[in-house]
Amino acid sequence: MGVWESLELGLAVAMTWENLAYCFLGVTVGMVVGVLPGIGHLAAISLLMPLTFHVPATAALVMLAGIYYGAQYGGSIASILLNLPGTASSAVICLDGYPMTQKGRAGPALLITTIASFVGSLLSIIVLIFMAPPLAQLALSFHSADYFSMMVLGLVAAGSISQGKPMIGLASVLIGVLIGLVGIDVKSGAMRMTFGVPELFNGISIIVIAMALFGVVEVISSIGKVNARAKDNNKITLRGLMPNREEWRSSFWPMMRGSAVGTGVGILPGTGGGSMAAFMSYAVEKRTSKTPEQFGKGAIAGIAGPESANNAAAQSAFIPTLTLGIPGDAIMALMLGALMIHGIAPGPRVITENPDLFWGLVVSFLIGNFMLLVLNIPLIQFWVKILQIPYRFLFPAIVLLICVGVYSLGRSTVDVMLVAGFSSVGYLLIKLGFEAAPLLLGFILGPMLEENMRRSLLLSRGDFATFIERPISAAFLGLAAILLIWVIKGELKRKPAAAVSHDV
Amino acid sequence: MNTLQSKDFLAGVAAILLGLFVVIATAGYGFGTPRRMGPGYFPFSLGVMLTLIGVVIALGALRNHEKLPSLNWRPYVLIPLAILTFALLVPRLGFGPAGVATVMLAGVAEPETKKLHLLALALGLVPSIWLLFALGLGVQLPFFTWSF
Repeated sequence: MGVWESLELGLAVAMTWENLAYCFLGVTVGMVVGVLPGIGHLAAISLLMPLTFHVPATAALVMLAGIYYGAQYGGSIASILLNLPGTASSAVICLDGYPMTQKGRAGPALLITTIASFVGSLLSIIVLIFMAPPLAQLALSFHSADYFSMMVLGLVAAGSISQGKPMIGLASVLIGVLIGLVGIDVKSGAMRMTFGVPELFNGISIIVIAMALFGVVEVISSIGKVNARAKDNNKITLRGLMPNREEWRSSFWPMMRGSAVGTGVGILPGTGGGSMAAFMSYAVEKRTSKTPEQFGKGAIAGIAGPESANNAAAQSAFIPTLTLGIPGDAIMALMLGALMIHGIAPGPRVITENPDLFWGLVVSFLIGNFMLLVLNIPLIQFWVKILQIPYRFLFPAIVLLICVGVYSLGRSTVDVMLVAGFSSVGYLLIKLGFEAAPLLLGFILGPMLEENMRRSLLLSRGDFATFIERPISAAFLGLAAILLIWVIKGELKRKPAAAVSHDV
Repeated sequence: MNTLQSKDFLAGVAAILLGLFVVIATAGYGFGTPRRMGPGYFPFSLGVMLTLIGVVIALGALRNHEKLPSLNWRPYVLIPLAILTFALLVPRLGFGPAGVATVMLAGVAEPETKKLHLLALALGLVPSIWLLFALGLGVQLPFFTWSF
């Protein structure tokens, strides 16, 4: 199938009323949670995951993806107007966005971020359209050993890159993999770690884990800590949205460079949902700028670049997720979870066996981004109003939605109790430095990791050398080893200095 | 400051405990051989790895005394309790009473909120969420019931 035929198919799928409605619902919810501090997009996606049980797979993914990139848009509004980053990746936007508001240029800043988001997404989607099919084709030639090693690389990257303590990150991954193994072992029929609880025989639902770790834990840690500042925002005026010629001129190249940086970073595993892309783009802009001293004081390039970058990353993250079945971050893991709920095995066959889903989703990105462009600016006063909802009325609603959402999956009170249990333990572990995102990645990849290891060793008659004899597999494992050595070396170098500063 | 109370040391201990727990739980599952991996092969090996990583983390803590962050105690107790309450009440009394109880219990995690405001919130939220799930999505979710 050629690109144009594929896009035509995608257009036909995405333009159905149902998918348009779910796309609209997704981007709107995404905007709202992006604006609101204290609810991240992970929490929002987890919260809406139960809905996906009741709708077809394509509509489900269209909606969940809409929340994701919608939140990237929404996050920048709170950052620019109030210096409150709604999502991690929009923290960068605060650096120059808020100073622009103080200078009375909030309007142009918002318009530029909206356009930058759109440009970043668009360029990244184009890369996705051309890159995904050949990559999936390539991955079709992978053997189980190659898959095993690729997952190892993905998990090592997820555990070690995203945070400062690679060992704890790796431990988080392992805990996730182990939770993923709970239930019947498909090969032998043995019950594993179910402790005689019949509700555990079919394993623990990804929704339970996501609700506990991203929903409940976030509520527990946010209570009493957010929304104290969002009161004095009556003086926002949008005198003229149009950027002047100088502002247009100095945001064009940052958008292009930001899109490139974002698309590249988003494809890599373990790079954490756009925030790394945004920070890298900011650094790039500051370095290439002729007026680096303006950064932090309201340089428009400091908004345009990172905003393009985080939206580009949000789209290109779908490349490895949909073509290889390897999610780069927790959000992509949730997307894969939604696919699996609908009985679609993630991997390179998704594009060929479910072309309507893949291309429908891709085209829905275009439509969704266009909806956001239209939603964002005219409704700005509405978004500001939403910021004023006090968190103390919001979180009881979130808790109730989590309860009823989990219960609605299978009318199982055990699932609801598991959420309570996992959130209690999870909160403590996260306080100790363990991380939820690598844990979720391990959880989703765990069973596939075991399956591929089993198959490779069966084929090689129990010879572990198979993992280094196949060149593709050896390359992945080699990269994983280099990455491990690199982060551990960094850790060893850093520690003594850190210890000194702590003692002071 | 005492090493035994530092954040990383406790993280290491947590990993060791979880790892040993898995090792003990999966020891009887049938290890098999690499060629024919039994149900215990993979989880048991990962349990051992987790334990070892825990040891490395705990040893690393000897050089780095990072203080334990304080816990958000009130919500930490009340929010999971609210969720448990929901699980216990929903099959017995129905979604209505369970929902109100959950919102109230969760809501008091923020001490400044007035109880009356919470009740109003609960009375508004519970029926609308019920409408959404029971009527909108067709989930079997009785509003009132009585079964003990």
